[in-house]
Amino acid sequence: MDATITGLEESKKGFQLSDRWIQIITTVAIIGLWELLSRTGLIKPVHLPSPTRVLSTFIYITREGYPQDITIFKHIKATVWRIIQGYLLATATAIPLGLLIGSHFLLERAANPVITFARSIATISLLPLAIAWFGVGELSSILLIMYGAFWAILTNTIQGVKQVDVNFINVGRMFGATRRHIFFRVVLPSTLPRIFSGMKIGLGVSFMVIIAAEMVGTVKGLGALIQQSRLYYRTDITIVGMIFIGIFGLIISIGLDRLERVMLPWAIGLEEVKR
Amino acid sequence: MNHRRFRHALWASWLGFISLIALWEIIAALQLLDSQVFPGPVAVIEAAIKNVPLKRLLEHIGISLLRVIMGFSLGAAVGITVGIVSGWYSKLGNVLRTPIEILRPIPPLAWIPLAIIWLGLGESSKVMIIFLGSFFPIFTNTFKGMVTIEPNIIRVAQTLGVQKNKLLFKVIFPATLPDIATGFRVGWSYSFGLVVAAELIAASRGLGYMIMHARELNMIAVIMYGVILIGTINLVTDYLIQEVILKRKLKWHYLATAY
Amino acid sequence: MTSDDSKGKLFVRHVTKQFDIENPEQGLAIKDVNFTVQPNEFLTIVGRSGCGKSTMLNIIAGLLNPTEGEVLIHGKRVTKPGLDRGMVFQTASLFPWLRAIENIEFGPRNIGMPKDERRSLAMDLIKLVGLEGFENKYPRELSGGMQQRVAIARAMAMDPEILLMDEPFGSLDQLTREDMQRELLRIWETRKKTVIFVTHSILEAIYLSDRILVFCPHPGTVRKEFIIDLPRPRQKSSTEYMGYYEEIYANIS
Repeated sequence: MDATITGLEESKKGFQLSDRWIQIITTVAIIGLWELLSRTGLIKPVHLPSPTRVLSTFIYITREGYPQDITIFKHIKATVWRIIQGYLLATATAIPLGLLIGSHFLLERAANPVITFARSIATISLLPLAIAWFGVGELSSILLIMYGAFWAILTNTIQGVKQVDVNFINVGRMFGATRRHIFFRVVLPSTLPRIFSGMKIGLGVSFMVIIAAEMVGTVKGLGALIQQSRLYYRTDITIVGMIFIGIFGLIISIGLDRLERVMLPWAIGLEEVKR
Repeated sequence: MNHRRFRHALWASWLGFISLIALWEIIAALQLLDSQVFPGPVAVIEAAIKNVPLKRLLEHIGISLLRVIMGFSLGAAVGITVGIVSGWYSKLGNVLRTPIEILRPIPPLAWIPLAIIWLGLGESSKVMIIFLGSFFPIFTNTFKGMVTIEPNIIRVAQTLGVQKNKLLFKVIFPATLPDIATGFRVGWSYSFGLVVAAELIAASRGLGYMIMHARELNMIAVIMYGVILIGTINLVTDYLIQEVILKRKLKWHYLATAY
Repeated sequence: MTSDDSKGKLFVRHVTKQFDIENPEQGLAIKDVNFTVQPNEFLTIVGRSGCGKSTMLNIIAGLLNPTEGEVLIHGKRVTKPGLDRGMVFQTASLFPWLRAIENIEFGPRNIGMPKDERRSLAMDLIKLVGLEGFENKYPRELSGGMQQRVAIARAMAMDPEILLMDEPFGSLDQLTREDMQRELLRIWETRKKTVIFVTHSILEAIYLSDRILVFCPHPGTVRKEFIIDLPRPRQKSSTEYMGYYEEIYANIS
C-alpha cells in the first residue's frame, strides 16, 4: 500500500485518467457482485432486487407508471411544481427582507433571536401542524418548502449585506454617491454571491423537505412513489424511485453551479481570496 | 452614533424575542381563529402539561436522542475511519469513494422506505437513517481535512524523524481535527432534523411520533409544543457542541482563526 | 479663518482624533496635527504601523471627522468626502463585478455623464496608466500591480485636485512596487495633481516626494519635516539619498 506522503498528495490532485478507470471498474464490479448475489438467492428480491430487475422496472415506470398510470414523469412534475411554488415564494420574500434587515444594525439585532430559533425548528416537524391547519394537500407542502428555504436564503442575504467590504462603501463615498446609489450600485452587487449561496442551500433544503412531506399522505410525487411502493413491497420501484431522486438532486446542484458561473462570472474564487 | 452603547445592543435582541412571543399571544387572544386552531403560548403550555405527562415526554425525548446518538456515533466512527483511510491510501480511497459519491445525491430521508424494508419499523431503521445523515458530512469533511493538510507540516515532522504510522496519529490526525469537528457540527444538526422526520413518517415512539400522533387527535396545542421543544433541544445541543466541546478541545484552532 | 487660504492650499489645523473604544488612551489616534500642503506638491506621510497616518488621511478624505481641529481646502472646512479629493486604498478595492474600464467609469456614471463621454474619458485614463488592452478584464484577472493602476485611474476619473494614497503599493512584491513608483511619478508629472501619500517605507517616500512628514505614534503627531531637494528621477544608491534615509530613520523613533 502506498502509505506515504505521496498518497495524500495524490489525493489532492483530484481525479486523473487512471482514477477514472478505477472508478469505472469499481462500479462495474459492485453491480456485477450485486447481480451475482441476487441470482444465487443470497439476496432476496424483496430486500434488494437484482440490477436487471431494477433496469426493467426503470423502463416500466417511465412507460406504465406506478401506482395506476402515474408515470415517473407525472411524479417528477408533481414534485417539481411544488418545489417551484414554495421556492419562489421563499425567494421573493427572503431576499428583500434580508437586504432590509442586513442594512440596519438594530433591526438585525432584534431579528437575530427570532431567526436563530426559527431556523433550529426542524422544518419537517411543521408538517403535522400544516396538515392540521390546511389539510393534506398542495398548500401544506408548498408552505413547508417555503419555510425551509426562506430561512436559508434570509440568513445568507443578511450575512452578505453585513459583510460588504467597508472599503467598497468608502470608494462609493469618495465619489459622492448618495445612500441610495451606494445601496444599489455597491452593496447590492457585492451581496450577490452570498445571496446565490443562500439560494443554493435553500433549494437543497426544499428538495429534502418535499421528499419527506410527500411520504405522508400524498399519492403523486417522488417521495410518495417510494413510500407507496414500500407499502406494497415493490422494492424494485423503491430503488428506481431512489435513483430518480438522486439524479434529480444531482441535476439541481450541478445546474445551480453552472448557473452561478454564467450569472456571476466575476465571483469565481472570490470566497477563497477573502479568507 | 454612540458606538459604546450600541455595541452589542443585547437589549434589541431581547426586545425582538419578547415582542414575538407577545405578538403570538395577542393574535391568539384576539380569537380571529378558534383557540383550538391557533392557541397562544399560554394555552400551548397548559395543553402540553395536561396531555403529555412528564414521564411520557421524557420517554419521547429520550428515545429520539438515543436514536440520534446511536446513529451519529456509528456515522462518525465509520465516517472518520473511511475518511482517513481514503485520504491516506489514495488508490484505495478512489475505490471507496466511488460508491460513496454515487450514493451521496440520495437524501437520507429517501432511504426511509428501504430502511424499513430491510430493518423493519423498529429502532434500527431510524438509526440507519441517522447514520446516513451523519456519515456523509463527516466523511466528506474528514477526507477534505486529510487532503488539505499543509504539506510543510508533514515535511517538518519527517525531518524530525517521525515515522510513518506515528506520523498518522501524531501529526496528520490532529491536523485534520478541525475539519472533522466541522463535519460533526453539520452531521449533528442534520441528524436531529432527520430523526424527527423519520419518526413522523414511521414510528411509534419519539418526538416526531408525538407530534404526528397529536395531529391525529387534532391537538394543535400539543403539536406546537412539540415543534418548539424540538427547536429548543436542537439549539441547546448545538450550543453545547459548539461552545463547550469544540472550543475547549480545539482552542488552538479557534484562537488562530478568530480575529 | 482668513480667505487668503484659497489658491489650492490644504490646511490641517490642530487636528485631533479620539476613537470611542474601551481604552481611551489607546483610542487617541492623533493629536494636534498641523501642516500645510502646497498645490501640486507630492507630500508623503511616513511612520510606523499604527502611528495614525491612515487616520490622518481618512480625515482629509472626509471619511472620518476630527474630534478637534479642522481641515481646510479653499478656505472651506472638510466635513465629508468630495469630488475634489480622490483616494486610492491599500487593497485596490476595485469592484469585482465591474470590468476595469467600468470601474473607472464609476464616478462619471454616478454624476450622470453620458455613455460615450465617460467611455472615452475612461479609455484616456486606461492609456495613461498603461493598461491598454486590459480594459475589459475583471479585477480578478488582473495582477496586483495592474489592479492598483486601475484604482489610480478610477480615482482620477473625476479629475480631483488632490490625490490621496494610503499605502497603495504595500501589498505588492518589491519589483512590482518599484515599477509602480516610477509609473506613479510619470502619471503625476503628466497630470499635475497634489498628492498626499502615506507609507511606512522610508525609501519609497524619499524616491517619490517633494516633502516628507514623519509621524510618530501614541498619539500620532508630526515629529519632523523633511524637504527632499533632489532632482528626479532619484538614484536610490546616491549618497544624498542615503543621507536622507539615515536622518529620517533616526527620527522614526
